[in-house]
Amino acid sequence: MGGELVETAPQLSYTEQFYNCFPFYLSIGMTYDQYWNSDCLLVKYYREAFDIRKKRENESLWLQGAYIYDALCAVSPVLHAFAKAGTKPQPYLDAPYPLTKKESEDIEASKRKADRQRARAMFEAWASGLDLPEHKSKGE
Amino acid sequence: MAKQITFEFEGKNYTLEFTRKSIEIMERQGFVIGDIVDKPMLTLPALFAGAFLAHHRSIKRKEIDAIYEKMTNKEELLQKLAEMYNEPLEALMEEPEENEGNVEWGASW
Repeated sequence: MGGELVETAPQLSYTEQFYNCFPFYLSIGMTYDQYWNSDCLLVKYYREAFDIRKKRENESLWLQGAYIYDALCAVSPVLHAFAKAGTKPQPYLDAPYPLTKKESEDIEASKRKADRQRARAMFEAWASGLDLPEHKSKGE
Repeated sequence: MAKQITFEFEGKNYTLEFTRKSIEIMERQGFVIGDIVDKPMLTLPALFAGAFLAHHRSIKRKEIDAIYEKMTNKEELLQKLAEMYNEPLEALMEEPEENEGNVEWGASW
């Protein structure tokens, strides 16, 4: 009883364990010299950097999926088997997704500015068609 | 930054540190860290000598032994050297991700 606590598994030497992990660190960009001769804690930072890179790649793939989804949604009206003749696809996004809060605020601001200019142009066009006394006096 | 022991001996500065390469060299020469419990008097000088490999590879064993003779507080030195020796291996082990199943533990000293 309790024999499993007494029997020891064959122990790997430190060197063997170093060699076991070596290919992984080479694969994430460490050099031979960094792994074997430099500060032994460097591996931790390489691992952290690797995690950040993985996360970034994952986000990039997710973003690509989102663009593909949007593109499919845009063309879906014409992909419909019983689509009416003359059906046109929706236009694709006119700009990439904003990635930062500032970018998103800038886009909102420029959208608002464009809306204001359009409204002003419409108002001016409408106002110029009116038979106002001011126009009359200018004409005279 | 990896753990290091620094001292000055006869006007020269020394930095003791273990790299994976120095541990590989030591193990190739027959050093076994497990012997620290059974044969501490044999292991400590070898461990001390191995710590020179990283920064003072050309130093002679005779000089190392002379320095070792003059080192004070050998018990603490052994403890620190053992910690330093384990560091290159410990750095390769990932901490488990935080979750409810992790075992919290404490020591009484």
